[in-house]
This record gives sequence, C-alpha cells and structure tokens, in this order.
Amino acid sequence: MNCQNCRDRMPDLVDEKLDAKAAAEMRGHIDGCPECARELASLSATLWALDALPARAPSHKLRAGVMGLIETEKLTLRGQSEWATSIRAAAGQRRSRGFPWLRTLLQGAGACAVLALGFILGERNATQHQLAELRARVDTMGQIVEQSVLRKETTGNRLEAVLTEATVAKPDERVIDGLINSMAFDPSVNVRLNALNALYSHSDQEVVRAGVLACLPKETNPLVQVSMIDFLVGAKAREAVPELRKLVADDKADPDVRDSARRAMDLL
Amino acid sequence: MTSLAAEIPVHCLPSGVEWRRSPPVETPSPLPDHELMIAVRDGDLDCMGELFERHHGPLYGYLVKLTGNRTAAEDIAQNVFQRMLKYRHTYRDEGSFTAWMYHLARRCASDQYRKASAAPVSVDPSHLEFHADEATSADESAAARDDHALLRRALGRLDRDDREVLLLSRLQELSFAEVAVILECSVGAARVRAHRALRTLRDHYMQLQKEPLT
Repeated sequence: MNCQNCRDRMPDLVDEKLDAKAAAEMRGHIDGCPECARELASLSATLWALDALPARAPSHKLRAGVMGLIETEKLTLRGQSEWATSIRAAAGQRRSRGFPWLRTLLQGAGACAVLALGFILGERNATQHQLAELRARVDTMGQIVEQSVLRKETTGNRLEAVLTEATVAKPDERVIDGLINSMAFDPSVNVRLNALNALYSHSDQEVVRAGVLACLPKETNPLVQVSMIDFLVGAKAREAVPELRKLVADDKADPDVRDSARRAMDLL
Repeated sequence: MTSLAAEIPVHCLPSGVEWRRSPPVETPSPLPDHELMIAVRDGDLDCMGELFERHHGPLYGYLVKLTGNRTAAEDIAQNVFQRMLKYRHTYRDEGSFTAWMYHLARRCASDQYRKASAAPVSVDPSHLEFHADEATSADESAAARDDHALLRRALGRLDRDDREVLLLSRLQELSFAEVAVILECSVGAARVRAHRALRTLRDHYMQLQKEPLT
C-alpha cells in the first residue's frame, strides 16, 4: 500500500467502514509512515469535531408551522371532498326523485296534472334549498381552499392540470370533481374559464350543471359569468331561471351579464 | 381471592390479596418511515406529524450546519415538510424516505441560497453565513477559540457544494449510495467529493486554530 491509497481510504478507516484485513493493512502502513500518521490524526480530529458539533433545538415556531400546514392540508382535503360529494349527493337526490314522478304520471291521467304541478313546485323548492346549501359551502370552503390553491401551484401549473383533465375522454368522478373545484375556487380567471370550458362536454351530468349553478352567484368576473350562463342555456338547465332572474334584477351586476341572463331566461 | 394488577406496590396490598403480574402489554412496533410516507401519500396526513417528530431534529441540525443560520434553517426545514405534503403523490413505492427528504432539503436550501444571493445587499457569503449564530451566542463570543466555534467558522469557509456533500456524508441516516442519489452523481464521485471536502475543512480548521485571537 502506498501513501496515496492509504490517504484515500482514511475517512473509511476512521468510520470503521473497512473490513478487518484492509484496516490491518492500512494500520501497518500508517505505523511505518509518520506523514500518513499525521494525516490520519488531523482528519480524525476534524471528523470528531464535526460529528460532535452540537445541534441546537429548533424554536417552537417550526413545530407550530409544520403542524399548521398539516392541519390546513387536512382541512382542504376534507373540504374539497365534502363539497364535491355534496354536489354529487344533491344531484343524486334530484335524479332519484324523477322516477316516482314518471311512475305517477303514468298511473292516472286524472291525477297527472296535479302531481306534476306539485312535483315541479317541490322540485323547485328542493333545488333552491340544495343550491343555498351548496352556495354556503362555496363561501366557507372558498376561503380555505383559496389559500391552499394559492400556496400550492403556480397559475401555469394549475392551468396545465386543468387542460390535461380536459383531454380525458371518459373522465371519472375525481376528474369531474377536480374541474368543478377549479371552476369554483381557483383565483385565476383563466383557470376558472378553462375548467368551465372543459366541463361543457359533460353538461349532460347533473353534478356538472349543479356545480355551475352553485358557482354562478359567487363568480365576480363578467367573462366567466357570461360563459356560465351560456353553459346553463346550452345544458337546458331550467333550474337556473331563479338565479338568472336575480342577476337581471341586480343593479350592481355587469350590464353584459344582465343582458346574457335576460336572454338566457327567454331561451329557458 | 382477589387479584390485582401489578401497578399497586406489593407492600400496599392487604393480606389475602394475591399479587399477580399484569400480562405484558404488547406495544406495536413503530411503522418504518417508508410506510408512514406511503400512508401520507394515500391521504393519511396524520402520519406526517409522526415523520416530523422523527426527523425534524436531524434535518434542522443538518440545515443549521449547512447555512450557519438558525432562522434560515428553520425556514428551510418548514419548506421541506411543506413540499413533502405538496409532492406526496410523487413519493415512490421503492423510495427511501430519508433520501427523499434530504433531496427536498437540498432543493429548498438552493432556493433559499438563490434568494439570499439575489438580495440587494451584496455580502460575501463566507462572511455572512455564520454571522447570525455568532452574534446571538454569548458563549461563542466569549470563547472565540472554542472548538465548536472554530469548526463552524471553518465550515463557513467551505464552498457551499463541499459543505453540502460533507455534511450529507456524515449523516447516520444516509448511505453513500443515497448521498450519490441526492447529489445526482455516482457513488464514487460522491465519496471522492466528500473526502476532498473533509481535507479542505481540516485545512481551514487547522489554520483557524493557528490564527491569533481577534
């Protein structure tokens, strides 16, 4: 063994990472080489000092900060899931009420008109109630999710994610929920608009129409508002009429939005 | 005959009461880091708290040595855990949690360094990095030749890359193979770089020991 070989392996010798034979060979060389012995002593002292360098404990702020992040993430996760699920559940309830209505209609011509009228009124009330609930969730969840969205990704990344989801030919519930959440909560107009565009091809789904309708009163950007109204007209979402009526009557709403809402009411 | 559990000292038991050792409580062995992180990835975010408890100490210690600044080290450590949450879906089944954590730490530290470098006040980093600790520690100002203080100053004189590879190589939790993955180089290159950095540190350390007190 020469000095160069010996010095190359000194840290391993200090850390006892060499097998017994190699270590013995090195020690044999070092015993007969004062230069290498000095080198080993100085490296050992440095490594010892480095490993013995005390590590102070972090302040309580680190723990508080990380635990806060975890809790926020949990809230966001829970909130997004609950919101999407609530829309889905509301859509499911509406769908399930359709069958008794059909059955009743077929049962008797005499009772048909009364029942149908009753259903329509009840349906409207139920829908209004569900939408009110969904809107309340949009308002409360928006604050939580908004912070999370802002913290998580750049607008470009979020837009890319939405565009990727838009290309899925047969999206599952998770993709649809993701698009609805982006449309509802994303701070970027561009992302919200693209999420809405991506949902156009799924307007036959009750959950999508319910999602757009729940978001319309919260939306503040006229471009997105008009696009949502177009969507609802295209989806023949007659349940949107009360909301459109409110928009028409709202003096503070953008004039173009009010015009769109008026036209949409006529069409629906 | 009454039986009582072993929590009550024998001399406290009334006569006629049989002392019986309670059955050993089987404490479940803690889950490995990897499994905890898989659980986090799958949505069980409470497991992140456990990972924090296990690793924040060594991680923070590493970052303090790397940056020489406790405030920066805390910021970076928090960013590391934030990125773990953010990128949890990228954690791989065959991954090593510790290597992944220090990989993220490396990225976060680089970002921090870039921000500090882009700051309007231009200061030589080798002078800046240990300034905060030295200024806030009365012990260290009082004993300038203290070994720890000297070694911290010697570390501060290393290039950032040398300091990084050396400190990573000294972490008990990481093998050289994992250090190589973190540094995106071969195992041999990581080993050579760590040894070279150690020699440089030794030179600075010895030099500082010879310098007169200031």
